[in-house]
Amino acid sequence: MTEQNILMKINDLSVTYTTRLGEVSAVNRVSFDIYKGEILGLVGESGCGKSTMGKALMRMIQPPGQITGGQIIFDDEDIMTYNDSQMRDFRGRKVSMIFQDPMTSLNPVQRVDEHIIEAIQVHEPKTKVEQALERAGTLVRKLGIQKRRMNSYPHQLSGGMRQRVMVGLGLVLNADLIVADEATTSLDVIVEAKLADQLRDIRDEFGVSLLVITHNIALVAELSDRVAVMYAGHLVEIGDVEPIFDTPLHPYTKGLLKSIPNIKLDENEDLYKMAGEPPNLTHPPNGCRFHPRCPFAMPICQKFEPELAEISPGRLVKCWLYLDHPEKEQETIEVPA
Amino acid sequence: MSNSLRRFLITRILLTIPMVLILVTMIFFIMRVLPGDPIRSQLGPRVSEEQADALRERLGLNRPLSVQYLDFLWDMVTLDFGNALTQGERPIKDELGERLPATIELTVPAIMLTAVIGILSGAYAAKNRKKPIDYIIRLLSIAIYSVPVFFMGLLFQIVFSVRLSIFPLSGRMDTLLLTNFDSRTNFYIIDSILTENWPALGSVLMHLILPSLTLGLALSGVFVRLTRVNMIEMLQSDFITAGRARGIAENKLVFRHALRNTFIPILTLLGLQFAILLAGAVLTETTFSWPGVGRYLVERIQLRDYTAVQATIGVFTLFVALISLLLDVLYAFIDPRIRY
Amino acid sequence: MKNLKPSEETMPNPEEAPQWLLDLDKVGFVRKLFLARKWYGGDWWFVAISGVLLIFIIIVGIFPQWFAPYDPRAEVGPSLLEPGEPPASFQLITRVDQGEIQLRDIANRGDNIGFIIGSEASQAFREAVDLLNETAPEGVRYQPRQQRYESLIEGFDSLIAVEIDGFIASPEELGETLAEYPELQLSGTLREEGERGFVFGTNQIGQDVFSRIIWGTRIALIVGLSSAVVSLLIGVPLGLISGFTGGPFDRVLTLIMDSLYSFPGLILAIAIAAVLGAGIGNIIVSIAVLYIPTYFRIVRGQTLTVKEELYVEAARSLGTPKLKILAKYILPNVIPSVVIIFSVNVGDAILTEAGLSFLGFGLPPDTPDWGIDLARGQDYVRRAWWLITYPGLMVTLVTLSFSMLGESLSEILNPRLTEQ
Repeated sequence: MTEQNILMKINDLSVTYTTRLGEVSAVNRVSFDIYKGEILGLVGESGCGKSTMGKALMRMIQPPGQITGGQIIFDDEDIMTYNDSQMRDFRGRKVSMIFQDPMTSLNPVQRVDEHIIEAIQVHEPKTKVEQALERAGTLVRKLGIQKRRMNSYPHQLSGGMRQRVMVGLGLVLNADLIVADEATTSLDVIVEAKLADQLRDIRDEFGVSLLVITHNIALVAELSDRVAVMYAGHLVEIGDVEPIFDTPLHPYTKGLLKSIPNIKLDENEDLYKMAGEPPNLTHPPNGCRFHPRCPFAMPICQKFEPELAEISPGRLVKCWLYLDHPEKEQETIEVPA
Repeated sequence: MSNSLRRFLITRILLTIPMVLILVTMIFFIMRVLPGDPIRSQLGPRVSEEQADALRERLGLNRPLSVQYLDFLWDMVTLDFGNALTQGERPIKDELGERLPATIELTVPAIMLTAVIGILSGAYAAKNRKKPIDYIIRLLSIAIYSVPVFFMGLLFQIVFSVRLSIFPLSGRMDTLLLTNFDSRTNFYIIDSILTENWPALGSVLMHLILPSLTLGLALSGVFVRLTRVNMIEMLQSDFITAGRARGIAENKLVFRHALRNTFIPILTLLGLQFAILLAGAVLTETTFSWPGVGRYLVERIQLRDYTAVQATIGVFTLFVALISLLLDVLYAFIDPRIRY
Repeated sequence: MKNLKPSEETMPNPEEAPQWLLDLDKVGFVRKLFLARKWYGGDWWFVAISGVLLIFIIIVGIFPQWFAPYDPRAEVGPSLLEPGEPPASFQLITRVDQGEIQLRDIANRGDNIGFIIGSEASQAFREAVDLLNETAPEGVRYQPRQQRYESLIEGFDSLIAVEIDGFIASPEELGETLAEYPELQLSGTLREEGERGFVFGTNQIGQDVFSRIIWGTRIALIVGLSSAVVSLLIGVPLGLISGFTGGPFDRVLTLIMDSLYSFPGLILAIAIAAVLGAGIGNIIVSIAVLYIPTYFRIVRGQTLTVKEELYVEAARSLGTPKLKILAKYILPNVIPSVVIIFSVNVGDAILTEAGLSFLGFGLPPDTPDWGIDLARGQDYVRRAWWLITYPGLMVTLVTLSFSMLGESLSEILNPRLTEQ
């Protein structure tokens, strides 16, 4: 993948929350790229920072949190330098977001058409209502939102319909990247599958990039081109979906994939549980944040934090198993390309 | 009218009846059953027992309690309150009829003022939560709430009437103008416009400003706090975050989206405020010698005219219930979740 | 206090983690209170300030005699004295050969005391004599005769000529003249009391405003706290039981409470007070009735919520007796809200009590109560602003303290802030 294909470049991003118990390092110096037209899945346990990551990409972190470092480069510009008005233009138009619960994400006292018209008029103030509706018309039909539903209030719509409205709002301004923050978590399996298909179709048709944030690994396996795994505020592994699922490199990824219940579970085989618990992010572990739970931990792991390094084309891992270090005694594992 | 709306309205109206009943019964209970002999206190110790009995007879106070109760209820329904016990025995209904418009003329501007101050300050404070302006607004609202209504009225009187002589001290209108004033509805503002009596209108408005300002300001203390709390919760809703993600400006999110949603619970709160408003009206009317129902009540209690007191409190109850019902109906029409 | 910056170049070692972070969990409650200041910000200050104010107010309420210079009901000063103005003092002048002599010695029948025509000394003289008569033992009565003179000189001449036994004049009237009469001496001032001054002035019957408002604190606190406690003791259990039990009992009770809640409180209090009569107990009852619905609603609401929580269901499924569930699970959750309501309640009760007294339905007429003082001062709005200003400010201050405490506690205990 060449440089021209990079839509968004995230460099060294850090997000910190100030809480009563101290400062929580929710996202710690994470770097990765999002390519044009790709579907990137971002997975991890609850509290690993993936939702925060998604919000940070649109600079939607509210106090007591804030972005404490790094750059987010989109269209050759670092949006960290944007002022309020530029940011407002950016949101919705360049990057948009769809949310977990469509019932609460829609304004209860606004009709569907009002939602859409407003979104358009906020970014293009001179647009008249009829023009806005026309523009939205094709999109709305494509998504399967019936015309007569346009005058309805959110509570009058079914769950799936609301979800479609929300997706529509994400697309109406022709954003280049859609961040789906746990968009399927509150849906049942069938609706979830439908939504997944819809998202894929959107990407195929409009060339939109998708960042799918979820803890549902199966969804990611089915839907994404690439997968990024986060743990305790760190990005620990990223790469194309098949290699990662075939041969997970980072011990956490291995554990994650192993813990998916398999319908073919052997009667003698217990469900795999990863040892330990997610760390306290006010006093995170030293060195590699995963080392207290890692079955492959080495002495070096609690002393130094590994880099996220590209150890084979398109595959980055943040683990001492695959990196060299003067103090490291063990062998470094070589990974074939 | 949609099904859910119809259902809501019917339920709501049906609910009013038991509430009114309970309150009216409570009044009856208080007036009749609690210790203390109203007849004695009214007539004084020097009147003989026979005369006291005669009065009791006339008022029907020696009938069994249940009969009295039913009679009382019937009176409430037919609005036949009997006559005042003193001062020429005017029918209470007429007295109340004259004074109720006065109270309404006082309380309506007051509650509008409260709503405006309360909603705007509360929304602004919620938007800037934990910043200095938030604390200032909160402190001011608690301070205003802590000032007794009548004290505020007295202070206003001292400053604006006595020292600065801008506004008149009390009453509804200049007494000189009152003699030529043709009052049909007893709403002085309406009447003066109808009869094109412009000096009267001016006088009425000038007399109205201090009392309604006092009442409205005093009430806003509570209201700011209520709005603020509601707005803070509202601002953390998902749809606000979603709106922000679409690039909608903060001000618009607060003052249009969040506020429009808060209106609905706030309207309910306004209804509850109404009770406090009436209580404040009693005090304000006393302070400014405003000839409204509140002052009438106080007068009648001081004169131990229990028939009138009962009737007045009964009217208060009906009034409160009516306003509460009206507000709920309004709320039903505004909230699309009920309407459709 | 050091801040952890995750974007620093090197990751901190465990040994370098700031000590205060590690200690936070170990410190006692008091230190936590102060450390909390950083997190809670302004609200902490609100709570602290109102707390301090309240402690002070309560001390004044418990020991008014330490703070009040006079008896609040005693008519110790001239009427309608402005704040800080020293009361006019009037001197008694006698002949040197009368020796050490006081007013009471020459105030008997047959004695003559002179003053200048039109001087306020005559009023002061009459009041002083009345005071003597009040404190006189049985059978003793003071009734001197009054002699009027056109001027000071005439009076002095008369005094020297033993035509009168004493002369009363104000310091301004005396001027330097006394020095020219070596036969005459000053025998003290008419008012022994009032030497302490009247900081806030006096009211129309000569009572010290300052002392009255100090003693008013006690009344206000008694009424406010008692009625709040009564409301709490009735409202909270009812709310708990009603919320927990549900069913028709709950519905009926809720209907009653909602009706009560929606009715103008003051009017209800007036009605009850009017029927029961004056007296502090009746006032407390009248006001208490007003706030029962508030406790009821909030406690019931919370009970309903907690009742649905999983851990309560779990306990129920284990067969825990209902009373134990109420006491162990629901009550602790309800307590913070009750504390907040209580605080606001007391402030509100004091306001209501002031209102009741203002309208004349409160305490007996001469009680040193702020509401009563405000009512009495109403007629003097033009002349004597201090009669209403100070009582009013006191009501505001005390209500403010209670309300501020409740308000900011509410902010702290219900943060409504999304924490990660």
